[in-house]
Amino acid sequence: MRAFAEWLYGTGPSAAIHSTLWLIRLLQATHLVTAGVAVGSGVMIALRALGWQRADEPFEAVWKRFAPWLAGSLAVMVATGIAQTISDPVREFTATSYWLKLTLLLGGVLGTWSLARAARRAPGANLSPAVKLIAAAVILCWLALPPLGRMIGYDLAIWGSLSLRE
Amino acid sequence: MNVESILDSIQGSALAEWMRDTNPAMQIVESTHVLAAVLVLGTVLIADLRLLGLADPQRAFTHIGRETLPLTWAAFAVAVVTGSLMFTTSAQTYFGNTAFQLKALALLAAGLNMLLFQLLTARGIGAWDSGRPPPTARIAGVVSLLLWAAVVLLGRWIGFTKGYDFTIPPGVELVLPG
Repeated sequence: MRAFAEWLYGTGPSAAIHSTLWLIRLLQATHLVTAGVAVGSGVMIALRALGWQRADEPFEAVWKRFAPWLAGSLAVMVATGIAQTISDPVREFTATSYWLKLTLLLGGVLGTWSLARAARRAPGANLSPAVKLIAAAVILCWLALPPLGRMIGYDLAIWGSLSLRE
Repeated sequence: MNVESILDSIQGSALAEWMRDTNPAMQIVESTHVLAAVLVLGTVLIADLRLLGLADPQRAFTHIGRETLPLTWAAFAVAVVTGSLMFTTSAQTYFGNTAFQLKALALLAAGLNMLLFQLLTARGIGAWDSGRPPPTARIAGVVSLLLWAAVVLLGRWIGFTKGYDFTIPPGVELVLPG
C-alpha cells in the first residue's frame, strides 16, 4: 500500500495538486463546508427515523427534503476527498483515521439508504426497534466523519500503536 | 492590566499547560471543535434555507426553529468550550492571527444578525410563518448562511496561517552545543 501511495505521489495529477498551495486549501475548505451540509442532512433523516425530529411529517417527506442535499453534498465531499487523497496519498493511506473514516462513510450511506427502504416497506407505520437501532448507528457514523477527518493529521498521537503510520 | 498581560496569564495558566502537555488532549479537543462547527453550520443551514424559500416551503418557520435551534445551541456551546481550550494553548499567537480576528468578527456579525432577526423580523412572523418570508427575512437568511460558512472557512484558515510558537517557555534553559 505504501509503495502504491509513493508511486501515486509521483504522478502528474498528484504533483499538480500538491504543488499548488491555494488549490489544497480550497479543496480542504470546500470539503469542510460540504461536510456541514452532509452531516446535517444525514443526521436529520436518522433523527426522523428515531421519531425525534419532524415526527409530525411522514418519513418520505423528510427523505424528499434532505436526501437531495445529502447526495449533492456527498458528491462534492467525495470529489474533494479523492483530490486530497491523490495530492498526499502517503499521509492518507498510512492513517488509521482515514480508513476508519471511509468505513464509517460507507456505513452512513448504506445505513441511510436502508432506513429509506424500511420506511417505504411500511409507510405511515412506526419503524421497528431494529430500524431505530440502525438509525442510531447511522447518526454515530455521520457524526464521526468530521473529527476523523481532522484526526488524519494526528494519527500517531490519537491511535498510538494502532496507527498505520510509522 | 493590558491585553498582553491577560493573554500571557491565559497562556501560562495550568489549564493551558495541561492542554499543551497532555497527549492527545489538543488533538481530541480540536477534532471535537471541528465536529461542533460542522453541526452548527449544518443545523443553521436548515433554518436559513427555509428563510430563503429554498427548502421546506410549507413547513412553519417556528416549527423549524423549535426543532433545530436546540441542536444549534448545543453544538455552539461545545464549539465555544473547545475553541476556548484551543485558544489558551497559544493565546498570543491566536490573538494576533488575522484569520482568527476575522473569524471573531464573523461570529459577532452572525450573532448580531440573529439578534436583529429576533427583535425586528420575527415580530411579524405570524404573517409569513407558513408562507413565503418577506425580503428582510430572506436577507437575514442569506447573511446568516454566508457568515456561518465564513466562520467555518476562517476557522480552517487559522490552521493554515497560525504557525507555531517557537518561544522558549519560562524556566527552560536552552543548552546549545559547543
